[in-house]
Amino acid sequence: MDDKENPTIVPQTEYSDPDLQRKHSLMLERLSNRHQNRLDNSLRSESESSSFESTSSFLSRFSEMKRSIESQLADSQIAPSDPAQLKIYFEKISASISDLEKLVAENSYFLPSYDVQSSLKTISDLKQTLESLNSQLNPKKKFAFKNKASKKESGFPEFKEPLVSKRTDTSPEKTRLTMRDSPGFRSIVGQVLFKEFRGSEVGEFTISDLDSCEVRLIGSLRVLFVHRLKNCQVYVGPVMGSIHIEEVEGCIFVMASHQIRIHNAKRSDFYLRVRSRPIIEDSNSVRFSPYCLTYEGIEKDLQHASLDNETGNWANVDDFKWLRATQSPNWSLLPENQRIKIVDISTQEIKNDNTQVI
Amino acid sequence: MGLLSIIRKIKRKEKEMRILMVGLDNSGKTTIVLKINGEDTSVISPTLGFNIKTITYQKYTLNIWDVGGQKTIRSYWRNYFEQTDGLIWVVDSSDLRRLDDCKMELDNLLKEERLSGSSLLILANKQDIKGALTPEEIAKVLNLEAMDKSRHWKIVGCSAFTGQGLLEGFDWLVQDIASRIYMLD
Repeated sequence: MDDKENPTIVPQTEYSDPDLQRKHSLMLERLSNRHQNRLDNSLRSESESSSFESTSSFLSRFSEMKRSIESQLADSQIAPSDPAQLKIYFEKISASISDLEKLVAENSYFLPSYDVQSSLKTISDLKQTLESLNSQLNPKKKFAFKNKASKKESGFPEFKEPLVSKRTDTSPEKTRLTMRDSPGFRSIVGQVLFKEFRGSEVGEFTISDLDSCEVRLIGSLRVLFVHRLKNCQVYVGPVMGSIHIEEVEGCIFVMASHQIRIHNAKRSDFYLRVRSRPIIEDSNSVRFSPYCLTYEGIEKDLQHASLDNETGNWANVDDFKWLRATQSPNWSLLPENQRIKIVDISTQEIKNDNTQVI
Repeated sequence: MGLLSIIRKIKRKEKEMRILMVGLDNSGKTTIVLKINGEDTSVISPTLGFNIKTITYQKYTLNIWDVGGQKTIRSYWRNYFEQTDGLIWVVDSSDLRRLDDCKMELDNLLKEERLSGSSLLILANKQDIKGALTPEEIAKVLNLEAMDKSRHWKIVGCSAFTGQGLLEGFDWLVQDIASRIYMLD
């Protein structure tokens, strides 16, 4: 290769032929150009890499980027209030932070470990600032949770309010939860509530926030939700799916279902027929007894729901708060002499001689 | 990277996938597992603890961990996070009242670093019940669009009662996991 011919050691030969001489000088020129190019190239690349491998130049670049992110963060206080724009703005900042992180990662192989540590610390601080700013200026998500918490805490008198206000809310995100209510009895005090599902195809039904009521549901259901009942008697025909009970006190339940889950129940009696094992959780003083309901045509309904046979599972209660072999102190079998008699809800008057629980 | 490639090789050889199935209580997790395995679903007690089911699906072996959803045992979910390839979050679409709880638990779950690499299938169960929310409505309530962009996820409406939608969901999950674990090296 002609690269080997260093122009400085090529002997200066005199050529008699002017043509040859011209060729020779041209060649020398080319070679020296090439040499110069090579020198330039290697110089350039050297300067580049040296600028990268120097700690001080890294630190200056790092602090420059850091300053720019910090000023962006500071500006966000006066940034657009429009949440969509704000989101874009924060995304931009977060992108620059990850660029900064990348810079540290790329250079970490030659940096002293102290500088790596301190840079990483700076980055995590920046991230934290961004996060707190984001939650401060864009508190949407948190708002949803607060909403829920207050709904949960409110007793039943106020319960109606959040429901109504939610429904009238125009923002699409907030109307979401209660865009429709399942059919049910809600927020009623001291009444006899009656519902017959015969013929009409019903999926779910909810009874919630009732005080001192008697509930009679005749016919088959798919799903039943029971929530926040006080001093109520609840008589239910066969439920083909599951029953979910939460927060009840001083109630009597007579129900048949494939699955029954009982949460936060106190001082209540359950007369059950259930295909699987009923469970309780966070409950105490709950007692169990077999199903004792009748109405005109209940046999057919029970048969249709595959609940016509007594499984004995009413006594096989699993307590999720008592995972030991010994009997849970939270529930017991209801002594026979304290059980209510067969309840017939097809007649107007309920004939039972023990409406008082405990 | 050495260990990871060994794990990948073992998994590829056995074509195994580990799938964790969680969700609130009463959402139908156990019923879904039994239904997709063609078993009787008429008597199912609420899960106290967990069930493991190994089923052959397409050419893969799925190890499905169905973990109970009662409040008391939710704190044990994290014991099952390790090496999860696919996460199935089951929602009771008819339980409107507890959708807030459902969202909160899902959000907590997705913060978990050990699950960050797993594909997420959300099953909007109980679509056969009148009054159930549609998968689109569930997606809106759970704010799925706001999820981390790196997460592979899909929501599918289904009914463990009729079986509708289950295969669609599992097909997607298995394909998604396969393309991550077995094709990429």
